[in-house]
Amino acid sequence: MTVKEKLQEIFREVLELDDLEIYDEMTAQDVEGWDSLAQMELVITAEKEFHIKFTTKEISELKNVGEFIDMIEKNVIKR
Amino acid sequence: MKEYTYEDIKIGMEEQFSSVVTKTMQENFRKLSGDTNPLHTDAKYAKTAGFKDKVVYGLLHTSLYSQLIGNYLPGKYCLLQKLEVKFRKPVYIGDKLKITGMVKEKQDNFSCLLIKGKIINEKQEIVSTANIMVKVMK
Repeated sequence: MTVKEKLQEIFREVLELDDLEIYDEMTAQDVEGWDSLAQMELVITAEKEFHIKFTTKEISELKNVGEFIDMIEKNVIKR
Repeated sequence: MKEYTYEDIKIGMEEQFSSVVTKTMQENFRKLSGDTNPLHTDAKYAKTAGFKDKVVYGLLHTSLYSQLIGNYLPGKYCLLQKLEVKFRKPVYIGDKLKITGMVKEKQDNFSCLLIKGKIINEKQEIVSTANIMVKVMK
């Protein structure tokens, strides 16, 4: 399973949207329910699933799903 | 009231208190919620449904989790983010409950805590468990 596929499962679970298809340019404005609490849960769940830890700076600079995927891949390599 | 800051909190830290559910609490909750289901208001009906008496509203006893986080863990600087509860046993008027919270996780990026909550009755039965996520605002 790719990082994107795994992240999609996380998005579906956290946002309770079974059919959600994520894409690189997707932002919080594109998805109903992607609010600050959901953002926190997405990050925390991704950290647990991928066994990584993001910095506050990395999280605050995220602009879209594509950057989220890049951030995960970068941290998985560093691990 | 406790005034723990995020830095004060350690994983494994625990707080607890006790509370007795009274008839007045049950009546006030009925008025507040508008829930007049006979399971909570009619002992005869509750008995026919298999309970020993009127059942205390689940959300009434769950409100003790509010007291747990707002007054004890972390206390003053608490902001509730998420609460998931499992109801395991019925609570009856007059039950003395012990409410416990234990810090399971700290999420430094968000100043958030995951607290495992538990409420037990005098028979040492677990009546509910909860996963509580709170932000500590200081």
